[in-house]
Amino acid sequence: MAKAGRRMQRGWGAVASFCGLVFLIAVAIPYPVAAQSTPQADAITPVEDFSKQLDQLKNTFGDLGKKIDDSAKTIDGLTDVQKARTEIEQLRAAVSGLLGAVVDNGEVAQMGVRAEQRVQDKLRALEGDTRFKPEERQYLLEQWRRIQGETQRASRELGTARKEFSELLRALQTNEDFIDELVQIRQAQKAIDVIRRLTSEIRDASGKLKTLIGSIKPPNA
Amino acid sequence: MIGRSIAMRCAALVLTPLALAGCWPTGETGFVEIRTFPSAASTPLYLDSTKLEPFKGASAVLRQPVGTLKLQADAGPGQLALICELIVKKNRITTVTVSVLERPPRCQCRDADGATSRASRSCAA
Repeated sequence: MAKAGRRMQRGWGAVASFCGLVFLIAVAIPYPVAAQSTPQADAITPVEDFSKQLDQLKNTFGDLGKKIDDSAKTIDGLTDVQKARTEIEQLRAAVSGLLGAVVDNGEVAQMGVRAEQRVQDKLRALEGDTRFKPEERQYLLEQWRRIQGETQRASRELGTARKEFSELLRALQTNEDFIDELVQIRQAQKAIDVIRRLTSEIRDASGKLKTLIGSIKPPNA
Repeated sequence: MIGRSIAMRCAALVLTPLALAGCWPTGETGFVEIRTFPSAASTPLYLDSTKLEPFKGASAVLRQPVGTLKLQADAGPGQLALICELIVKKNRITTVTVSVLERPPRCQCRDADGATSRASRSCAA
């Protein structure tokens, strides 16, 4: 009985090890790399991946837009410098989260670069491809050029988002530092004035963000 | 007993690769914005020893772990020269403009007012 139990335990151990191995392989090969390994099979995949990520980002932009509006409302009504600083800090953390998603060394931007590169490769390959009739090749080239234009435009919009978030983060941190300095020299009323002025910058950012969300159009394959 | 053994094995199998891959969410992060002047110049720059990809425009915003980073440029075959240090703080952005016309390139840190910059060996958020 005990022997059977040990055998069963070893059996389960082998199953668990196998599962782990499969998991390790899955972790070691990130999806985009796996996609790159079959470039001829489906050249549109990187563009679709980029498009999906942009779609997801747009939703998170919306969440941040709400946070900005709420923070502006809260900060506007505050007369307690400490509470205002906490609110600014929380907003800074929220903006950082979004900026982190669109930075140049982030996954979405890298996906954009890969998508553009893949489309460029495809165009180059098609231009020298003699398998198709001229009109067929022309049609394929037009379609890939359209996708290229849309991908480039989406990447530019991502760049605009990066710029907006950087500016907002900078505005928050410099105002926060100024408020800190004012508190240190016991100028609470002046600090509250700065807090109020910051609200208008935050509202301005909220407006820009709404426009940005509306303008972002993921490439349509 | 068997269930616990499997759970422990799975935990070890899951956590080890994450830790090895550096995906474990241990560190706090901030941002560095590096601008080059003139924008068209393409001098290779390095953050610590990592070579930066050529910028798409005139600048790049990069997420980095909190701490001090060395911004370096090529200084002959296999050698890097320190241009300046960038201090990264949690959820903050440190902006530096690198004048690549000069040899060696020179850093200008962006001041708090955002409009002016000053030559410096160390830039903070």
